[in-house]
Amino acid sequence: MSGELNIKEENLGNSIEVYLDGEVDIYTSQKLKDKLYGIIDENQSDLKINCRDLSYIDSTGLGIFVGALKKAKQNGKNIYISELKENIKKLFMITGLDKLFIIEE
Amino acid sequence: MSVDIIELLLPFKAEYVSIARLTVSGIASRVGFDIDTVEDIKVAVAEVCNRIVNIGSKLSQHYKINFAISERSLKVLFTCEDKSIKCIFNNEDAELAVSIIRALMDDVEFCTDGNYILSMTKSVGENK
Repeated sequence: MSGELNIKEENLGNSIEVYLDGEVDIYTSQKLKDKLYGIIDENQSDLKINCRDLSYIDSTGLGIFVGALKKAKQNGKNIYISELKENIKKLFMITGLDKLFIIEE
Repeated sequence: MSVDIIELLLPFKAEYVSIARLTVSGIASRVGFDIDTVEDIKVAVAEVCNRIVNIGSKLSQHYKINFAISERSLKVLFTCEDKSIKCIFNNEDAELAVSIIRALMDDVEFCTDGNYILSMTKSVGENK
């Protein structure tokens, strides 16, 4: 009934790349939180979040990105966000999160 | 000018917020908004639903979304029998949602004196 969210993870050596596929909403956001926080806790690497197949995100999801960034920074690491669709990039700009994260094309 | 009304009654459950998203997408398309604006309205409506669901209610099983469709605009009203649900965006943790809703809709009434939780309007051709 709710949108699906699939998360894949790839270890690139000096960073971990996470691929988000589907929708991050109030229903699927806990899955995202568990995954991102888990990766940050278990790895001393930068985190790359690939949003090529992310079709929707709400403020719950954006809040999880912010929480994950705080956690990563505490470990001296960073989060890179790439391949945002225009509708999602717009939300990053509205909320000012485009200035907080390193956003790559 | 005639106004058509569609009402959606939803349980306070996260898994049903997607139903509100799908419903408002269909309605906004019917009004004649372009695809980007339909997406904006969908996002704004979902932000309000998220907040209502997060706050929840001990007195009511459902909240209601009222879509008022006119020729050139869509007004969305959120109501609940539980009148304690009112100023739902006052906390600091709602900051992201508030900025999204304000940016995407033309007119938003938070914390109103009226008999509803929140009202938001979007008119065709007034894209921000």
